[in-house]
Amino acid sequence: MAILLWIILIVIALIIIAFISYFNRFAILENRIENSSSQIDVQLKKRADLVPNLVEAVKGYMKHERAVITEVTNARKVLVGAKDLGKKIRAGDALQGALSKVFAIAENYPNLKANENFLQLQNELSSIEDKVAYARQYYNDSVLDYDNLFSTFPGNMFAGLFGKKQKDYLKIEEAERRVPKVSF
Amino acid sequence: MAIQKNQARVSFYDQIARNKRKSFFLIAIIIIVIVALAYVIGRAYGDVFSFLIIGIIISLIYVTIGYYASDKLALASVNAREADRQKYRQYYAVVEGLTIASGVPMPKLYVMQNSQINAFASGRNPKTSVVCVTTGALEKLSKQELEGVLGHELSHIANYDIRFMTLTAVLVGMIAIISEIFLRSLWFRSSDRDDSKGAAIFMIIGVVLAILAPIFVQLVQLAISRKREYMADASSVKFTRSPTGLVGALKKIQNENINPIKPEESKKISKTMAPLFISNPFKNSDITSTHPSLQKRIDILERM
Repeated sequence: MAILLWIILIVIALIIIAFISYFNRFAILENRIENSSSQIDVQLKKRADLVPNLVEAVKGYMKHERAVITEVTNARKVLVGAKDLGKKIRAGDALQGALSKVFAIAENYPNLKANENFLQLQNELSSIEDKVAYARQYYNDSVLDYDNLFSTFPGNMFAGLFGKKQKDYLKIEEAERRVPKVSF
Repeated sequence: MAIQKNQARVSFYDQIARNKRKSFFLIAIIIIVIVALAYVIGRAYGDVFSFLIIGIIISLIYVTIGYYASDKLALASVNAREADRQKYRQYYAVVEGLTIASGVPMPKLYVMQNSQINAFASGRNPKTSVVCVTTGALEKLSKQELEGVLGHELSHIANYDIRFMTLTAVLVGMIAIISEIFLRSLWFRSSDRDDSKGAAIFMIIGVVLAILAPIFVQLVQLAISRKREYMADASSVKFTRSPTGLVGALKKIQNENINPIKPEESKKISKTMAPLFISNPFKNSDITSTHPSLQKRIDILERM
């Protein structure tokens, strides 16, 4: 009798431990996704903040490239106004595309390319481009870990119990995957 | 293209899982050796505990220093300086990018004067971690290759390898100290006590174990270190999403080992530091090496 009681107690204790540990695991992974999305946000904001300086630096040299510069300013406006992560990322990509055009055209302006200020901005923006890519990658890695826990046993049981939903990866649009074309 | 990418992903996650399992077994073996050693010594000595107490005090001091000061000792022993943010802009930019990719907090960055391509990470947890590269690595590696190498170091941090390696080093040191004290205490043992036959047998087992255990544990430590290198290579690929950079860097290191420029520079590095580096600063490529052969690492990376 005593043995049976012990077995019941141990089983209950195990269930409680599993319950707590899975609850925490889901919470940790959700926080990671949350954190990685704010990382993307931070980098996109940095990119947006550097754009006015770049436009200022470039304006004097690129007098005949109004269209490209307007594209950059407009893309920045869209990015600053964007509310949710998906829109922000799309706007950020559009801005990056416009910036790439500016840097490609800058190749034709030796004076601009020798400008210390411009070079530093170019370096910073290209390192931000790397960081945005890394942040998106980390977001997808975090989603992968979450979805693995979500879809494998016994995580899937607890997921149902806690009312968790599957998370989606960030996808790169087919059109954006192509390298932006620059016409002179 | 998409299928290929998927396969790569599965294989490096597999690699990580496999290495974690093997490392766990190796740690278990080390713990079993310690327990066995303690048991046999206890049986052989029955009531003589004073040497055990001395051993515990020494090992506690050893653990504390090893745990809290290992990174500072490591940096001081190679004469590393904190990296200047203005001077080493690319170094900072690459590590910042990788910390975002890996979710690891930003480590403190150091540079050591050495023309060999090498790097190591240390610290007791990701928050107090440090990364150090040689000036040779910063000069000779392209940005992509530097990314591969630093990704390798950051994965040592992300996987708690830095703490794990320190703890294993501490355990190995502890077993060596206990064995040493046990062997030495035999000199002071009075022979006129009425030894039972059982105690004498345990005494012999104790002597054999005390001699073999440190050697055995050291081999286990080296094996752990090698496994961790494969794992760090795999994680580096996970962070940078491409093995090209790390493969390029390892090939450059391989070339350097074949035609060493300044062989005397490796003498400045303490042997106990070897497991921390991305490639062994000393050239011994057999069972006593802390790192797998570069060729083997390159082969595995090229298959990813």
